[in-house]
Amino acid sequence: MSLVVRRTLLTIAVTLLMFLVIAPFYWIFTSSVKLPPEVIASPPTLFPQSFTTQHYDNLLGGSLFLSYMGNSLIVALGTMIITVILSTLAAYGLYRLRFPGRRLLFRVILITYAFPGVLLLIPLYGLLTDVGIIDTLWALIVVDVTLAAPFATWMLQAFFRTIPMELEEAAALDGATRLGVITRILLPLAAPGVASIAIFAFITSWTEYMFASVLIISDASRTLPVGLAGIIGQYQIDWGLLMAGATMTTLPVLLLFALVGRNFVEGLTAGAVK
Amino acid sequence: MLRRNSLMILVLAFTLVLSVLPATAQSPVEVTLWHMEQPPHRVERIQMLMDEFNAANPDVVVSQEPQNWGEIYTKAPASVAAGNAPEMLFGIPDFTPILKDLGQLQDVSDFIATLDEAHTFYPAAVAPYSYDEGIWAVPLYNMVHSLWFRNSVFEEAGITPPTTWDEWLAAAEALTTDDQYGVGIPANRQLYTDQTIYNLMINAGADEIYNSDGTLRFANEATVAAYEFYSDLYQFSPPDSPSWTWGEAEACFANRTCAMIMQFTVITTYDTQAEGDPADLGVVAIPTSADAENPGAISYSNGVMLLTDDPEKLEASQRFIAWLMQPENYGRFLNMEPGLFLPVTEDGATAESFWNDPLVVKYRSQVETMVANSSSGRLFGFTNGNTFPSISAISAQNLLAQTLQLIVIDGETAADAVAEGQVLMEEAIGE
Repeated sequence: MSLVVRRTLLTIAVTLLMFLVIAPFYWIFTSSVKLPPEVIASPPTLFPQSFTTQHYDNLLGGSLFLSYMGNSLIVALGTMIITVILSTLAAYGLYRLRFPGRRLLFRVILITYAFPGVLLLIPLYGLLTDVGIIDTLWALIVVDVTLAAPFATWMLQAFFRTIPMELEEAAALDGATRLGVITRILLPLAAPGVASIAIFAFITSWTEYMFASVLIISDASRTLPVGLAGIIGQYQIDWGLLMAGATMTTLPVLLLFALVGRNFVEGLTAGAVK
Repeated sequence: MLRRNSLMILVLAFTLVLSVLPATAQSPVEVTLWHMEQPPHRVERIQMLMDEFNAANPDVVVSQEPQNWGEIYTKAPASVAAGNAPEMLFGIPDFTPILKDLGQLQDVSDFIATLDEAHTFYPAAVAPYSYDEGIWAVPLYNMVHSLWFRNSVFEEAGITPPTTWDEWLAAAEALTTDDQYGVGIPANRQLYTDQTIYNLMINAGADEIYNSDGTLRFANEATVAAYEFYSDLYQFSPPDSPSWTWGEAEACFANRTCAMIMQFTVITTYDTQAEGDPADLGVVAIPTSADAENPGAISYSNGVMLLTDDPEKLEASQRFIAWLMQPENYGRFLNMEPGLFLPVTEDGATAESFWNDPLVVKYRSQVETMVANSSSGRLFGFTNGNTFPSISAISAQNLLAQTLQLIVIDGETAADAVAEGQVLMEEAIGE
């Protein structure tokens, strides 16, 4: 196959893939700026025939959307920070230290990841009420960390395995403490992995719906997915408002991916090739 | 001496102030309402009414916490178990048995009697909450299905709005063109489909799912006739109907792809996302089969449950509800979503506060038809006094809709599907 043919095929494949990825975002965004009759028009219009900001005005002016977004940011960032700290320490402990029950502990961590969360809903509600953090953002941070940390720990081990032990031993000979080895040697070398688990934890928390809908009672503490579902309603749907909400909800995640997306891909593929 | 007297006066004055303080500085009774009317304009309207009530009743503070229908069936029992349930909770009839089982739900029979004396409830609104020798919620607002269409579309086709099944099927066929489906009916395993198929069951004479002894009577000829007719109509419905909920049906009607739909209301969507011409918007009762003796449509009497046994909080909650039911307040409460929520009391149905909302004024004839339709509304599992709490298990699994899917998706005959549906229901209620 000639180089020209191969490049043409590659271009077509990449274009097709880009279309598949970008098309939903294009559709959501363009629908959010169409007038209501055009949003639900049949057949739908590929390019907007009208332009309005009324859906954004309603969303930002007529609802608690910004408050929901603020809550989501706090919960997602809190989850991200705690998950990174916990997972880094846990991954290091599990893959560098030798202690009895290490393998068992590793398996237990993965089992907790596979456990269906819905079974925990009611007991967790009671537990968090007893602790006094029901209907607070802390409740969601605690839950989201437990959702994200097991997989993040497992993911980080791939990075730690690629870092030669000799580097740590050399640092130890130079007087570095265990924590110093982690912060000065391992973390800088495993930066793509840390970025990956940070993004993973952020997205897990940003999109979490089930626990956020049950553990939060007051409107003021609601996060974005639950708040948006409430704004949209059940029997009557304002499709333009829904699209504006979806666009605004997607923005922070897109932004995060734009900033550190390359690291995320590197993180996912780390350890795949020897 | 003078100093001693002054001291005595001071002590007396201080004692007097202390004795008065507890009465004047007593903190108000705080009660919370959980409801599922989450769209911002509804929350705003409820808040406006609460502010008025709180201002007129300084010894009570009522607050709201909007919740989501999707999770309330999990969240409310969890909150009762954890001891932080709200004092008032909105709900529909199949929600009350769940909370009643937890032992926290208050019998409101006496309170209903007092309210009935003042406002006269429609019996159909109270009936779904009346069982086990008690009444378990105060009905607040009704929602009923009707058949919606455009008058101009019927005139263009030279037909009149249907009142019988034969006319309905003929209309669906006549109105199906290259760019329009004659009717839009769902086939999703979801509550909307439960509702639309139950409309047909009512109008086939199959509204009773239970016998009076609590055994199921779902599998019968009238039910089979209803499912058969549904599948006949379904051939004139859009191909994406198996994924529909209420919103998709409304959009299909608003963008003129569907000529007719069954829905609680389309008024807001039609007014804001379609033509908004009140003269062209048609609404009639759900057409009926020749055999139906008691036609009607599915309706939900939404009520408020009381979850506190604290006398002060109970009194405060009842005072708020009684205030809400006053005609001058009640219409404004119903019009948190104009053209959707209908009155459950006689004086509410004539209240100026209900009829003077701008959208209700604009679509008055349609709202009048909806109110008339609501008088013959009913809900599966809560009919003619044959109310059995196990219906919650049937509705939670959407077994009416699942039975329909056996026909329109799996290709079974209506008779086989209904027989299988009865087996599924028996399994669900543990019979």
